[in-house]
Amino acid sequence: MSGHKHNEPESDIALRVKAMEQLLTEKGIVETNAIDLVADYFENKVGPRNGARVVARAWSDADYRARLLADASPAIAELGYSGLQGEDMVVLENTADVHNVIVCTLCSCYPWPVLGLPPTWYKSPPYRARIVREPRAVLAEFGLDVSDNVEVRVWDSSAEIRYMVLPMAPDAAAGKSEEELVDLVSRDGMIGVAAH
Amino acid sequence: MGKLTAERLAQIIEDGHSHRREGDGTAPRFAEGQQVRTINHHPGGHTRLPRYAMGRTGTVIRNQGVFAFADTKARGEGDCPQYCYAVRFEGSELWGNAAHRRDAVILDLWDSYLEMP
Repeated sequence: MSGHKHNEPESDIALRVKAMEQLLTEKGIVETNAIDLVADYFENKVGPRNGARVVARAWSDADYRARLLADASPAIAELGYSGLQGEDMVVLENTADVHNVIVCTLCSCYPWPVLGLPPTWYKSPPYRARIVREPRAVLAEFGLDVSDNVEVRVWDSSAEIRYMVLPMAPDAAAGKSEEELVDLVSRDGMIGVAAH
Repeated sequence: MGKLTAERLAQIIEDGHSHRREGDGTAPRFAEGQQVRTINHHPGGHTRLPRYAMGRTGTVIRNQGVFAFADTKARGEGDCPQYCYAVRFEGSELWGNAAHRRDAVILDLWDSYLEMP
């Protein structure tokens, strides 16, 4: 890579990760290719595009939407997404009267099969501390103004259920195919810090 | 525990590792719609009951089923499987007057954290 600089030291975290990886492999605790497999999984196999497909299906198929809201994990598995950190999913339906948003105040629990790894801000102490205490102020900082008439429900994923928000379909969704709808769904919409 | 191989890890990622457990037939202690109070135990070690929700009153909105108890697992004391409930706390119960009247926080809480209000 042309942008690679050899004259600057690596960041502390990069050095620490390298040291840990070396220790784990040298002591025979983890295989090197196991680490490569995890990196490949999170870089290429999972991410918010998966969740967007689930939302697009729910927006275009009322029966699927009902199954998704009644028992999320099997409904999500219908689209091929399942596994670690998606074993026991619950999908939260946004309506004209209720806005849902997810957090893990104790650490960074997140539904990996549908959303991939969490963004840095999701793991940051300010988001985790403030979203439960003053959700409307935090949502406003994300550019989402929630009306005083709308209830805000903050779901703190501190146990074993993993949550995902089913946003309301925007006006722009009218007349679109399921495939086109996928592009209207954002990661932030499925966390609940954006409208969709 | 043997070496973590790519093969074993791939299986874990694909199959998942649910903490859901078969119940032993014990009836749940709380029903949906029932008021509960969280204990105020401030343990020295691992807990999934956040401090902001200790000693607070909420309403059970959903029985999530039986799950291994993270606190005892963290202490090496086994699964202690028990019901876990989604409990809704009104913003005012957690934050007093500072809360918006239409804010609520929902937490999944194991039976051990809950008592009759």
